[in-house]
Amino acid sequence: MADDKDVLRDVWFGRIPTCFTLNPDEVTEREAEAYYLLLPRVSYLPVVTDKVKKHFQKVMRAEDVEEMWFEYEGTPLKWHYPIGVLFDLHASNTVLPWNITVHFKNFPDRDLLHCSSNSVVEAHFMSSIKEADALKHKSQVVNDMQKKDHKQLWMGLQNDKFDQFWAMNRKLMEYPTEDGGFRYIPFRIYQTLSDRPFIQKLFRPVSPEGNAHTLGDLLKEMYPDALTNDGEVKRYQILIHGIEPLLETPLQWLSEHLSHPDNFLHICVVPVPTD
Amino acid sequence: MTVQPEQADVLTRSLPLEMNCRALDEERFCRCCRLILRRSDQLRDGWSWEALQGSEGYLKKTTLRPLPAGWGPEQDGGESPGAEPAALQPDPLVSTGSEEEDADLRLPSNSSSPVLQWEYHVLYSCSYATPVLYFRAFTLDGRSLTLEEIWKSIHPNFGLRLQNCPLNAVSQQEHPLLGQPFFFLHPCRTEEFMGPVLQAALDHGRPVNYVLSWLSVVGPMVGLEVPLEYSTELHAAGCLSSTDPD
Repeated sequence: MADDKDVLRDVWFGRIPTCFTLNPDEVTEREAEAYYLLLPRVSYLPVVTDKVKKHFQKVMRAEDVEEMWFEYEGTPLKWHYPIGVLFDLHASNTVLPWNITVHFKNFPDRDLLHCSSNSVVEAHFMSSIKEADALKHKSQVVNDMQKKDHKQLWMGLQNDKFDQFWAMNRKLMEYPTEDGGFRYIPFRIYQTLSDRPFIQKLFRPVSPEGNAHTLGDLLKEMYPDALTNDGEVKRYQILIHGIEPLLETPLQWLSEHLSHPDNFLHICVVPVPTD
Repeated sequence: MTVQPEQADVLTRSLPLEMNCRALDEERFCRCCRLILRRSDQLRDGWSWEALQGSEGYLKKTTLRPLPAGWGPEQDGGESPGAEPAALQPDPLVSTGSEEEDADLRLPSNSSSPVLQWEYHVLYSCSYATPVLYFRAFTLDGRSLTLEEIWKSIHPNFGLRLQNCPLNAVSQQEHPLLGQPFFFLHPCRTEEFMGPVLQAALDHGRPVNYVLSWLSVVGPMVGLEVPLEYSTELHAAGCLSSTDPD
């Protein structure tokens, strides 16, 4: 469907205007100006912030520059989460641009994974893709791909090449017609109000009776508290790529069209803002 | 000696009679863990069960181990009393490493005792239908070890080659239940090596505890010992029954 392909493009090209400011405690040789950047929702911080690092390194001495890390309002940002997920989870209802603080010291190794190079990001990305395919196809599709095909998925993401990426990713979105969908839906539900970083469990796109499961069905099973009952005031927003899809949307459709490039449906449950 | 199906079920509840038993579902995972816990209590091996909502949870073990010899220059030439067992000899391969290499492994000079705290968690991966091992290590000052330091500590003779072990890739990963950085053994190849183990057991009519068998293979790779005494109890067909208080 032409419409559906547009959705894929809209998802891929989503951007978040961001303002990077250097942590005031960093030692600089002169004042550091803020750096503005449009961040791709579907990518990862280390992949798209080379310019940020170079910009701030210009005003610092080499010995004061250790591993770069980012923080928003005191919360270290997990670089291995897609950028759009970080934004929706921490700053979805705030005024743009998204204000991120840049650090080069005191890496919080109890909170953040280390990221010494883009190959670490690539490994995480491919690991997610493999895990998603384990759920969707018992790993058959991803294992049938060659190394160069895997590389094409990563390079497509890294270089922001929609066509290159989807030429390969479409294979991961196929399923036997008679099944009506994937074996299980790869998803993660994030919430800020719990120690547990996310909810990820087995969930089928089709019920035993053959009915398509919806987003609402998934939440009812995994996180019923997120849903609003009749007559209640709405307490939570359920965000995917910054929007609230209708709860009646079939989960299989969401998985095929609103997954991130890592093939997971990342769903953020955030409290409705109280003005 | 063959084990009657009912007995096998009671002992391990882990070996269905059909051929395709490579996949481990969460219920079976929990049952295997319960048996391991029971045996761990008897052996005082230190495993505990961390429960989450419902029946969800994971196995956890923390252990203190002295630093291996050759970790780095001892602070001020002195050693803490009783720090290293007499059995540990300086490892020539490590001590002839470059200055720079040893420098990475040097403890902060105010470190009070050359002991490392290791933490092992056994979680269930629903994506791969296998157990997954997460681990990390700290100095007693609370500094987490890097992967390189961990390898040097466990396998000073093998250096970094085990990172590329064909059975498992080791990488840093967010603990899916705690949200903190751990190292983990990637589960995508587990089915490959567990398959023959389970098949062999099936062929001989032996019950097998999936989690225990798996842990016996992967544990030693990351410094986790799984004493043989675990197996003897769980395979002693005649000893256990469902009414055994144990």
